[in-house]
Amino acid sequence: MSKKPAVCVQIEDDLLATATGEAGPSAARRVETHLAACATCRREYQEYRAVDGAVATLRDEPIPNGGLAEAREQLETRLADLQGRLLTYRIFPSPLGHILIARSELGISLVEYLDRGTSLRASRLSHEPGVELVEGGGELEAIYRELLEYLHGRRKRLEWPLDLRLTRSDFHRTVLQATAAVPYGAVIPYAGIAQELGKASAVRAVAQALRWNPLPIVIPCHRVIGTSGDLTGYAGKKLGLKQKLLSVEGIPTTRRGGTLGIASQAMYILYPGEREYCLPTCPSFDTHLPAPLTRFASREDAEVAGFAPCTTCRPDLHPISH
Amino acid sequence: MRQESFEAVISSHHGEIYRYLQRVIGRSGDADDLSQETFLRAFRAYGSLPGEANVRAWLFAIATNLAKNYFRSETRRRQAYGEVRATVREAEDPTPEAELASRQTEAMVEGIVRRLPLKQRLAFMQRKIHGLEYEAIGRSLGCSADSARAHVFQALRKIRQTLDGHGLLPKEPQ
Repeated sequence: MSKKPAVCVQIEDDLLATATGEAGPSAARRVETHLAACATCRREYQEYRAVDGAVATLRDEPIPNGGLAEAREQLETRLADLQGRLLTYRIFPSPLGHILIARSELGISLVEYLDRGTSLRASRLSHEPGVELVEGGGELEAIYRELLEYLHGRRKRLEWPLDLRLTRSDFHRTVLQATAAVPYGAVIPYAGIAQELGKASAVRAVAQALRWNPLPIVIPCHRVIGTSGDLTGYAGKKLGLKQKLLSVEGIPTTRRGGTLGIASQAMYILYPGEREYCLPTCPSFDTHLPAPLTRFASREDAEVAGFAPCTTCRPDLHPISH
Repeated sequence: MRQESFEAVISSHHGEIYRYLQRVIGRSGDADDLSQETFLRAFRAYGSLPGEANVRAWLFAIATNLAKNYFRSETRRRQAYGEVRATVREAEDPTPEAELASRQTEAMVEGIVRRLPLKQRLAFMQRKIHGLEYEAIGRSLGCSADSARAHVFQALRKIRQTLDGHGLLPKEPQ
């Protein structure tokens, strides 16, 4: 077998590239010049051209369309099943400790305080049957940024699409929907939520539903307190977090004896069903009538929520000084 | 955040990924499964994909990775070779001479490609059949763009040598 001249060996790569459409213009020019003088490489070039033609035939060979349509159909079935089960989650640091946020195709489905660690193992999701978990994602980054803005008092609304499928029952879901309507800067007693749902005696059941709220902060169960004004409880034993969340909204809290509560006298009040908010000293306010009152930290919050100042006590003329 | 819905991604790329895996795997049912798995994996990660990412190259990379795992089983590799030999034999049925030569060449090329070392085959398919950039091919194979190019060139050399050995290349300059 005769040995290939060095010049042919050197240009072999460019020759192959030129014949198969892979070469840049300068390599193609070098090859053209060489081929004019070398019959062996001209033959080799023609062979690579033939190879390129055979590869093109392979490229154009059709795949039966029936198989493709069937594969697409199967894919869409499996994808629909996965979409229903898939939760994308991320764990973020926050002023309230590490928080896990999870979302489904329908919306945010879990906001969870992780007090037993900073990994998925510390989350209730690790025991949730039927869900598939994937660590995400750009979308959750944006949600996290909004949450931080909220916790730093730079945002008053979290307008996220919510998925309530992780709630434990239809009753819990109803309680959460009523709680979601409690305005920023306001607190309402558990009894107030129970009354709104037409189940005035279900106060403990309301408290239980809020204890298992899968979406704290965005469904503001921290704004639901005891009738006496005590903070009572939050996500188990996280009363300190409840106090922090209320203070973000400007709601004053105080310690009475060993119990944390709101500073009722420093807040505006609203009777159930009324459209006007009052000073706590309003003469039209009958202290003998046991009614679950909504209380507002500020006139501004009450008015943003759609309430007008009382025309008797005139909180607009005599605002509470903090 | 990405603008394109995942349904749009499927519409744009499912056919091509399906064909890629059909060609690489050679066994229709397994290629079906892997193409579905490619898109299910993609769906799980789609939310994390940077907005500027090349979705097509990303899908090829997922499919390539699945194909590599698939061929970790030597049995499957041998099965794929067996199918190639059957294909080549089928092409030897008597037909008019020119058509026979063309079919023989085609079957031969297909057979050579299927017998290439896996990285060469995957690089060759992505480049010469699907026209991906060497950068993307390199990423999918875990090597540099230059190495991906070298794999493709090596594949082309083998095709030429084998076709030549079977007298299926032109003998005179055209």
